[in-house]
Amino acid sequence: MAVFRYLETGENPAVFNMGLDEAILESVASGAEPPTLRLYAWRPRAVSIGYFQGLREEVDLDRCAELGVDVVRRLTGGGAVFHAAELTYSVVVPETHPLVSGDILHSYRALGAGVVAGLSELGIASEFSGLNDVASGGKKLSGNAQTRRRGCVLQHGTVLLGVDPEAMFSVLLVPDEKLKGKLISDVRARVSSVSDALGREVGYAEAVAAFERGFASALGGLEERSEPSGAELERARALASERFSSEAWTARR
Amino acid sequence: MKGSYVGKAEGRKLLRLTLEWNGGVVMRADIRGDFFAHPEEGFDEAESALIGAPVADLGRTFASELASRGVVLFGLTPDDVGEAAAAIVARIEAEER
Repeated sequence: MAVFRYLETGENPAVFNMGLDEAILESVASGAEPPTLRLYAWRPRAVSIGYFQGLREEVDLDRCAELGVDVVRRLTGGGAVFHAAELTYSVVVPETHPLVSGDILHSYRALGAGVVAGLSELGIASEFSGLNDVASGGKKLSGNAQTRRRGCVLQHGTVLLGVDPEAMFSVLLVPDEKLKGKLISDVRARVSSVSDALGREVGYAEAVAAFERGFASALGGLEERSEPSGAELERARALASERFSSEAWTARR
Repeated sequence: MKGSYVGKAEGRKLLRLTLEWNGGVVMRADIRGDFFAHPEEGFDEAESALIGAPVADLGRTFASELASRGVVLFGLTPDDVGEAAAAIVARIEAEER
């Protein structure tokens, strides 16, 4: 298997992060760049909502404005996520790649194996839960989402490093119906973090080192850390401004 | 008439449906939630194609529109949408009586 390009882009605003994920998808799809792993974070804090979610049903926009929390709609489905103390990854790979050539559930697990391996590097045993979550001890530590466009798979996901339930549940509107059938019905009790699991604070830099190793193992190797191309950065800025900052996109549902 | 539904079938993702209908025909159907569909735009098109369909056949029509576009769903089925529509219609019609 081809070795994956590896980018670590640090903290950026939500609209740029979503623009860069899509720009990388386009550059891998065109053959300009090889399959790519990116690790990143969010500043300021942000809520991302899934492609099919209703904006005002899922997010308290007034509270977000008060707290300086950005709001963005993703290209991928899934649920709303509060991005604060976390590590985020994205993987872009052609649909013909052996890692993703099986069914969609298989591909989630093949790419998300980097999350499980990264958590293991930190000393946390975890496993997939349902279609798109990774949990430890019944508590969710990671959510993952995938889209397929231009002959490529883009999968991105988050690893909670720390959790601020008060801020999280003041910006996310969680309906009672969402908790039906869950083992732990108190939504606050269902959320955990790497720092909670280990009983010590784990920051972004430590997590990056662990997840580099985890994804290198899951993806069959990583190139040396590098930067997005100039063309990708330019395209990311354009997508951030034209798509991900636009009301027409964010409030489309 | 108009109504909405929020629910989550066992093992599925959250579904929100807003439905408007007149004379048994769908005027508007907005399907939202934390499910997945590939390709996403095919889902959008299938949802738009529900306008003008018989409200009693919403699930079957949606299944057909998705299938014709090769859309694969995760965490949601067309039957879930049909059942949500039936629940809305039953509730609103009972309130109208």
